[in-house]
Amino acid sequence: MITQEKYRTRVKELLANNSVKMVIGYKQGSTADRRRPLFVRSFEEADELVLDSNCIGNLAGYLVTEGLLSDEKRVGIFLRPEGIRSINILAAESQLNTEQIIIFGFDTSGREVKALQGEQAGDFSGLIDSLKEKPPEKSSDALLYRIDQMNTEERFAFWKDEFSRCIKCYACRQACPMCYCRRCIVDSNQPQWINTSSHTLGNFEWNIVRAFHLAGRCVGCGNCDRACPVNIPLRFINARMAQEVFESFDHYAGTSQTQEPVLASFNKDDSETFIL
Amino acid sequence: MTRILFSDKLDNCIARWRAAGLTVFGPVKTDTLSSYAAIEQASDFDFESVLPDRSIKDLFFPQTEPMLRYTIKKRAIETEDFTPPNGKRIIFGARPCDASGLAIDDSLFGWDYKDEYWIQRRNESVIVSIACTKADDFCLCSSLNLAPDSSTGSDVLLRPLENNNGWVVEELTDRGREAFLAIAELLQDGSDPIAPIADVPEKFDLDTCVAWLQNPENFESKFWKEISMRCIGCGSCTYLCPTCHCFDIQDEGDTYSGIRRKNWDSCSFALFTMHTSGHNPRATQSARWRQRIMHKFNYFPGTFSVNSCSGCGRCSRQCPVDMGITETLQKISTLQP
Ligand code: SF4
Ligand code: SF4
Ligand code: SF4
Ligand code: SF4
Repeated sequence: MITQEKYRTRVKELLANNSVKMVIGYKQGSTADRRRPLFVRSFEEADELVLDSNCIGNLAGYLVTEGLLSDEKRVGIFLRPEGIRSINILAAESQLNTEQIIIFGFDTSGREVKALQGEQAGDFSGLIDSLKEKPPEKSSDALLYRIDQMNTEERFAFWKDEFSRCIKCYACRQACPMCYCRRCIVDSNQPQWINTSSHTLGNFEWNIVRAFHLAGRCVGCGNCDRACPVNIPLRFINARMAQEVFESFDHYAGTSQTQEPVLASFNKDDSETFIL
Repeated sequence: MTRILFSDKLDNCIARWRAAGLTVFGPVKTDTLSSYAAIEQASDFDFESVLPDRSIKDLFFPQTEPMLRYTIKKRAIETEDFTPPNGKRIIFGARPCDASGLAIDDSLFGWDYKDEYWIQRRNESVIVSIACTKADDFCLCSSLNLAPDSSTGSDVLLRPLENNNGWVVEELTDRGREAFLAIAELLQDGSDPIAPIADVPEKFDLDTCVAWLQNPENFESKFWKEISMRCIGCGSCTYLCPTCHCFDIQDEGDTYSGIRRKNWDSCSFALFTMHTSGHNPRATQSARWRQRIMHKFNYFPGTFSVNSCSGCGRCSRQCPVDMGITETLQKISTLQP
């Protein structure tokens, strides 16, 4: 509540002195627990802002769709630490200029929603470094633990069964702030690299290609997993990729705006002696 | 006196229907998802959920379906058609909104071009709906001239008994009567009271909305952008919708042989209207959301005299950013036409 009030006031301040054209936050949704994205442009809208532990969606993707930042005006945005990391990646990949972004950082891990110190992406580097120091949690989830214990065949069978439900809606992609490609590989049909059909092959092609493209880029915000209308536990695929990348290359996605993409950089100390 | 099917007879019914050559389908729930699927025994049915996550459309119009196999030889192209797998079936426990959804799409798939896949499956399926005694906040059938006990699209309508131990049987079509002839001796006469149907409050006045949508000036209204700014174009509203019916035709294979398939497509996708030149007449997500609403409540009824929405509420229940038909129409109903 305190953080919410503080941020409402700050949003109004920034709007009043024209420092931002819009602030992207959350408001009450259609059921008690639902929060939905809110685009604040007026004081009335600022009063609708809600900040509590139900504010879980990563809003960063809105910054890079439909040219929101193309007029070079500044935009405020409510972000959890993962969201801030996704901003860093978007900046590192030249998708946005962080000077245009005012961050309302918050953390919902404790009992009360906590405001994070800072407003510019760079202000949070200490915080993000401290997150990196925590080893990625291996088996915090019972299902992830079960998957970890499986042998290759069992794991293949598990994912085959999960992917069999995929309906190729690409909601996972649309919900992901890192999936900003103007033309996704699945949208390309000359040649058709990836089958659009949701048969076994098409579903594997899609989900595996996406997992690889997110290796070292996924920040674990869970947007994909929550958006999937057929409840495929996508978070495990990306969490596992993040873990592999961390162990093999000491790479934690989104630490800074100058971080090199792990799959596009080579270091002579890398455990692999080649790059793809 | 009414005819009653008691729940404890359901396994016997399933056996009779199978003996009569029908495959039995119904609402099924797993750990991960609920949908309409083939069942083995009465205990496989899920009659508890308000409605399955996936719509009944899956059984008539699957996400992907082969249409033909092609082979290109030196001087000739050979094609070989796939016919939809045939087989009679009974779908027991359909929700009235899903059954209405089928009736809505019948008009489209049986229009100028007869979609043989859809039509064959429709002709071979008996739809036995159960009137809803439960609803959630997202259900909106009553705002769309339908109700929790609508019989549209059903061959038989069942009304749950107050004791929750069976259903009163209303046979509506010859196909339904034929299927129930096979179980005639398992039905009993009785006067057990039926349970009240679910209370689904009317959420908007449809006629007011339609009038607004029909006014050409509102096509460019600021409203569209405001209402759909948060839409991420994920398409899951259209893929879970029982009445959304758009599809794409894709050839999969190499230059010399392959399979032509019919796959779902969605007006929520930017690619849906993208021209080869790169120009996109629906350049923004709000234009796509407008299309979805216009199509369902203006264009489709203009052609077929029925709305392309049966009020199941899946689009709103599922939307990752909490949008949906209800909110949009509720707002429209407050605007000046
Ligand atoms: S892949 Fe999923 S968890 Fe990872 S950044 Fe994208 S939406 Fe978030
Ligand atoms: S959101 Fe789920 S169903 Fe849709 S494409 Fe992604 S994995 Fe498949
Ligand atoms: S309205 Fe919701 S479910 Fe439909 S495309 Fe937009 S974000 Fe996805
Ligand atoms: S538009 Fe929404 S409420 Fe209407 S039939 Fe489709 S999913 Fe159901």
